This record gives sequence, structure tokens and C-alpha cells, in this order.
Amino acid sequence: MTMLQTSAPAPTGTVRGPRPARRGAVIATAVGVLLVAAPLVLGAYPVSMMTRMLAFAVLVLSVDLLTGVTGMPTLGQAAYFGVGAYTAALVGVHVTSDGAVQAAAALAAGLVAAAATGWVAVRARGIVFLMLTLAIGESVHQLADTWSAVGGSNGLAGMPPISVFGAALPAAGFVYWWVLAVAALVFAAVALVARSPYGRTLRGIRDNEARMRALGYRPALARFGVYCLAGAVAGVGGALWAAQARFVSPGDLGFEVAALALLSVVIGGSGSLWGPCLGAALVLLVRDSLSAYVGGHGALVLGVVFVAVVFLMPRGLAGLARSRRKEVRS
Amino acid sequence: MDTYLVSVLNGLAMGSLLFAIALGLSLVFGMMDVLNLAHGAVYLVGAYVAVALLGDGGGPAAFVAAVLTAAAAGAALGGALAAMTRAAPHHLDQALLTLGVALVVAELLTVAFGSDVHSLPAPVPVDGGVRILGETYPVYRLLVIAFGVVLAIAVHRLVERGPLGAVIRAAVADRAMVAALGVNTGRVLVGVFAAGAALAAVGGVLAGPILGAQPGLDEKVLLLALVVVVVGGLGSVRGALLGAVLIGQVQALGVALLPEYASFLLFAAMAAVLLVRPAGLLPAAAGVRA
Amino acid sequence: MTAVLELQGLTRSYGSLTAVDHVDLVVREGERHALIGPNGAGKSTLFATVAGTLRATSGRVLLNGRDVTALPESARARRGLLRTYQHSSLFLGCTVLDNVALAAQRVQRVAHRFDRPARRFRRTQARALEHLESVGLAGRAHDLVSALSHGERRQLEVAMVLAAEPTLVMFDEPTAGMSAAETERFVTLLEGLPRTLTVVIVEHDLDVVFRLADRVTVLHLGSVLASGPPEAIRADEAVQAAYLGAARTEDLFTGGAR
Repeated sequence: MTMLQTSAPAPTGTVRGPRPARRGAVIATAVGVLLVAAPLVLGAYPVSMMTRMLAFAVLVLSVDLLTGVTGMPTLGQAAYFGVGAYTAALVGVHVTSDGAVQAAAALAAGLVAAAATGWVAVRARGIVFLMLTLAIGESVHQLADTWSAVGGSNGLAGMPPISVFGAALPAAGFVYWWVLAVAALVFAAVALVARSPYGRTLRGIRDNEARMRALGYRPALARFGVYCLAGAVAGVGGALWAAQARFVSPGDLGFEVAALALLSVVIGGSGSLWGPCLGAALVLLVRDSLSAYVGGHGALVLGVVFVAVVFLMPRGLAGLARSRRKEVRS
Repeated sequence: MDTYLVSVLNGLAMGSLLFAIALGLSLVFGMMDVLNLAHGAVYLVGAYVAVALLGDGGGPAAFVAAVLTAAAAGAALGGALAAMTRAAPHHLDQALLTLGVALVVAELLTVAFGSDVHSLPAPVPVDGGVRILGETYPVYRLLVIAFGVVLAIAVHRLVERGPLGAVIRAAVADRAMVAALGVNTGRVLVGVFAAGAALAAVGGVLAGPILGAQPGLDEKVLLLALVVVVVGGLGSVRGALLGAVLIGQVQALGVALLPEYASFLLFAAMAAVLLVRPAGLLPAAAGVRA
Repeated sequence: MTAVLELQGLTRSYGSLTAVDHVDLVVREGERHALIGPNGAGKSTLFATVAGTLRATSGRVLLNGRDVTALPESARARRGLLRTYQHSSLFLGCTVLDNVALAAQRVQRVAHRFDRPARRFRRTQARALEHLESVGLAGRAHDLVSALSHGERRQLEVAMVLAAEPTLVMFDEPTAGMSAAETERFVTLLEGLPRTLTVVIVEHDLDVVFRLADRVTVLHLGSVLASGPPEAIRADEAVQAAYLGAARTEDLFTGGAR
């Protein structure tokens, strides 16, 4: 142990030294305070916008868990996001307006949906995995578009405002706080997964799956597990989305949403957890705000951003594809 | 019984179109591992070309003009996509690139044609019906089936028999080796990419009188093509054909019997095939051995 | 002593080329068994076939008396058969500690836990650091593997495979690329390993081979040329001709080693 004491400053095996951790904590606290204080200073529209960003960020976290941590690029998470949103809306319409119950139901629905469909995809790798997740996502999207029980292409409207633990939320700001609290909880949970032994296993699969097998691992099992987890996370994101919009339409789980979620991870830097959240906010900002300036065609701008990102940030993308990224930091 | 006959014929027509659309997707993937997510958008370009040139009904001349225009537009788009993806170093970058192009093209089409649903009449001399076993069936769809048969034979001749086909098949199997033999694989790749895109765009014109044109159709078609390729096996002509015929039937049956759950049936078919044969029914290694 | 590893007529062909040709081999518990042979003798293919990376064309692999020929690589690893690679195969995007901990946490059955951060699994962390220390890499525990030198990666490979608590380790040219000091550390480490652990080692450095091995098998053109104690192998003329170089220079010209 003497050798260890002299040369390594962190004998307990922390991933980072204390100094950057402290700086990170300061930044995290500052961001947290700003996020909590936002409804006190901002108007109704920016607050509802931020609520949507937070819900979308939860979806992006689920994409990051697969793409960044495990190295499985996916275009299918919007499906579980949608399953969660529809579940929450149905619970809201028929059962209870309690936001916690809705979120829990959405989590379970996302988990079950991912487990039921994921086994098709997790046996494949890389681009074939991407292709299969897209097929899964589009199948669910089009099912939502035609299934009359969930409103078909008209979507599902008439969801009452959510309440939290029996108390109605009197203003948009309170919905925001609820969404922020749940999103923060999910963020903490995903961060925990990324730093846990399981997260280490997932990074091992990302970096060198053959070596994992040689060490006695069953990578397919771990991949399926993280796929289900990511489905649950996306489901919660959907519930948060529904809590704000109180309306769910097939468009909420379409190709574009899936593409934007992946774009957010790429822009934010896959493997990091806060980066993609930032990317999510940015992407939604571009789509919803900027589209007003280009005649409602925000997707046009985002398409161009996509192309630009590939050519201007090739290193980030290369890291994504070849899995040589830095340690996961949350 | 009669409804089943109609459904089978509809499935064959759908299968013909799907073969035309999925072929390019499959070969491009097989040869360079590029997942062209803009393939549905290319199809939609063809569909809107048909709207522009045939929207008010038109004769055979206008129809041929639409097919040629769509083929040219598709080839140009395919060539551009090939050039862009060749500039990007990694497979995931390439997929993202085509994703961006897909968003841009689809949005531009919405800007140009609005978000209305366009339906198209069949071209004039073949817009009637014909009686088969007591059922009236559109002549146009029979012609689409015939087109599929001709296309399948032509592609089979070209890819599985001819010298160009040997290069394509070899490139699917091992591109580096073909390049080492002194073949300009770059030109072959761009050519296949452009030809595949042209076929998809022509598919858009041919499908016009059946599926029409509207925003979002690109996604539906991309999904169908993806499922065809996955079911049939990546990079294989025979696989694409088998997958297209199979998925055409599944889709037609689904739409006829369970319209609400048609896409679920599609997914179930894909899952069932992958469960038994993870690499698809006729993957390239076995499928292209002529 | 019982046979930990037994190969019966193990064969691996690539088309018409038979890289491993009806190899029969017995490795007993606690043995230090060296596998030598000129380049192209089929050592690496034999390793891969025994480990399960490659499927055997015919023949059987018995691990502790049980036929594992049909088992995949990961199942053989879970039964205690571990290998290293000739070219380091590591997790480049992870820290040095993570690499070893990946092996340790699988053995300790916590690899799929996510209820606490990894650093709170003290037993895993301690075991991983122990193994890092034994190869002299404890000081680099928190660096990324991509920052390690070639020799350090070889050492890490050794630590990782030992952290998986194998009953049988197969080292594929472990000292290739190590400095003299690193090689010395490796040999000392191996000499200090408990005799409950069985070691098969492919090695070009004959000093290392004859220092460590209590049995040597010579592979030539895919089949076993000779197998026995080191002294017997040293004296074997066929081996000298095939591998160690002809004993007398005139044999190089007459070709009459036998």
C-alpha cells in the first residue's frame, strides 16, 4: 500500500481528485438555483418552454445511457417516450390526476415496452442496431397514428391538470417545479447507474465487447438490461412531457423526435450526462423558437445543423462511433 | 375469398414497389455499411414529382416524363448523398448525415407543396378496372405487379449474372479486396447509390396513384423498406425480393383485416424472422452466390 | 495430480489449411506449462480454440474433466479458463482501475449492481488495486488506459486476467514488448503465484520459458513435436532442428539434424 499512498492522491479509488469535484459541485449548485428560481423571474411562455426542455432532456438522458455509456446508437427511444406520454395521459384521463402515479405508470410502461421489443434489437451492434431501433420506433409511432383507442392521428386530448400528492398545482410554475424535481431525480438515478459497477460493465461493452466475453461476461444480458432501463427513463420523460402539454399526439414519438434526441447527445458530447441535457435544451430552443423566424420550419434548420455537426465536430462523432471517449462524468 | 384475392394482388403490387425502393437501401448498406436514412425522403421526392407533373391527370407521355424526371432527381440526390457520406469517416456519422438530409428534404417538400394530402389518378389509358374471378381490380396495380416482375428479372440478370454484378457482389463481400484488385470501387459505389436512389424515386412516382403524397409518408416508406431489408437480409438482391414480397403481403393483409394494428403486424413479422434467422432470410453471403 | 486441461485430438482448420492438427495435451494442476514453437506453428490458433474464441473443427477440450468444447468463450471463462492476448486487448476508454475492476466485479458477482457508486464497493476496489500493485501500476490507477505505454498495457493485461481469479491462465506471449525490468517483474510475479493456479504460457523468450516452466510442449506445423520436462526438451534433437536452431552449424548445410 505504500506505493499507492505516495503516488495516488485518492486512495479510496475516487475517479477524480477533490478539486474538480468541488468546482463541479459549485457549478451544479448554481445551475440548480437558477433552474429553481426561473419561474419567479420568467414569464409563462419561457417557463412552459423550459418545462418541455426538461422533459425532453429526460428522453435525451435515456438515449445517452444507450449511445454514450454503452455505445449503442439508437433512434428508437422516442417510442418509449411516447408510450410513457400516452400512459400518463390515459391515467390522467381515466384514473387520477396525481403526477407521481402518472410518472410511475409511465416508468413501468416504458420498461415493459422496452423489454417486449428490445430483444429484437440488442443482439445487433452498431449501425444494424440503429436500424432495428428505428424500425421499432417507427412501428410504435405508426401504431399510435392508427390506433383509435389512443385517439389515432388526432392524438389524446382532455388530460386534466396534474396534481401532486393530492394538491392541485395552481400555476404553470408549479408544474415546472414538479417536472424539474422529477427530472433531477432521474438525472441522479442515471448518474448513479453510470458510476455503478453496472455502468462500468456497460462501458466495458462499449469499449471492447469481445474482451468482456473473454472475462466471462454475457454482454447480451447487460445490453438488454440497459435497454430496459433506458426504456423506463424515456417513459418517465414522456409522463413529464404529457404533464406540461396535457395532450399527446403521434408526432411526439415520431422520427423527428428520435432524430433530435440523438442529435442532442451528439452535440452535447456522448458519455457525459450534463452535456446532452444542454444539447437537449439547445435543440428544442432551435426547433421551437427559431422556427418562428423561418416560417415554422425549424426542422429545416435542424437538418442543416445535423449535417454541420458531422462535418464540424468530427472528433466528437468519431468518439461516438469508435467508442474512444473519456470517463463518464455527470 | 374474393377479398383475399384482392388482398393478395394488393400485396403483390405493394411488394413490387417495396422491391424497387428497398433494393438501393440494401445494396448501399451491403457495400459500404451506409444506412441511408434519407431513402424515404428520396422516395417522397419522386411522389411529389408525380404530384407536380400528373396532379391534374395525364396521359402516358406525362407519366413517362414524370418517371424520367424522378429518376434524374433521385440519381442526383443519391449521387450527392454518396459524395457526402464518402467524406464522413465513420458509419454513424454517415447515418447522421443522411438523417440531416432526410429532415431537410422532407421539410423543403412541405415548404413547396404544403402539408395537404395529395392523391393521384392513374394515368389515362390504364385508369380503369378489369374483372378477375368476379372482382373488379384496377388495371394500374396489375401493371405495377408486372413492373415488379420485370425489374426483378432485370436486376437479377444484372447483379447476379453480369460482369458489373460480379463487381457489386464482390464489393458487398469485401470492398477492400475489390479495391486492391484495381477496380475503382468509389465509382461503383456512387453508381449503385445513385441507381438505388433513382429506383426509390421512380417507386415514388409509380406508387403515386396508390399511396398518394403527403408529409410523413417518407417515414412510413422508410420503415417498410427497413423491415424489408432486415427480413430479407442485408446486401442481398434475392433477400430484398423475398422480403418485399413477404412484407407486401403482410402489409396488405394487415390493412385489409386489422387496419389499426397494421404496423404492429409489420413489427411482429420482423421480430418473428429475426428470432429464427438473426441475419435475415437470405443474407448476402448466401444470397448472392449465383 | 488431476488434469486441469486436457486436449484430445484438437483440430482447427481454415479451409484446406490445418493450423492445429490433432493436438493431444494434458496440463496438470499447478503446472507451469510452456508452449513453444516457431512462428506459424499454430500456437495462437491453439490458444484461441482452447479459450473458445475459435470453434474447434474436431476434437475435444476438457476442463477439469468436463467437456467444454461446445461452450462459448464466456462460459469457459466463468469456469476459470482465462487468457491474455498477444496484442493487448483492453478497455481503452476506461481507467486502469476500471479495467481490472471489470474482472474483479464479475467474480464477486456485483457486475450488474447499480444501487451504489462503484467506489463504494470496497471489496472490488481493494481487490483491483491489489492486482494493480502486484504489477506496479497502482500509481496509474486513475489514468485512462489510452495513456499507458505498451509495456504498461502488457502488465495491465496480466493484472486484469489474474483479477478474474482463474484456475487456469493462458498467457499469449506476455513479455513481448515489455522492457527487461518489466519482464523481470512479470517472471517474479508468476513465480510467486500460488500453485492452485495452473499456467500455460506461449513465450518466445527462452530464458523466461526455461526459468518458469516445469513442462514444455513444442508445437511444429500445428502438431505436437515433443512434450516433456525442460531438460528433456533441451536435449531433444528434433526440437533443436525445428526450433532452437540446429545444434551444429554444419547441419544447416547438410540438413541432417536427425
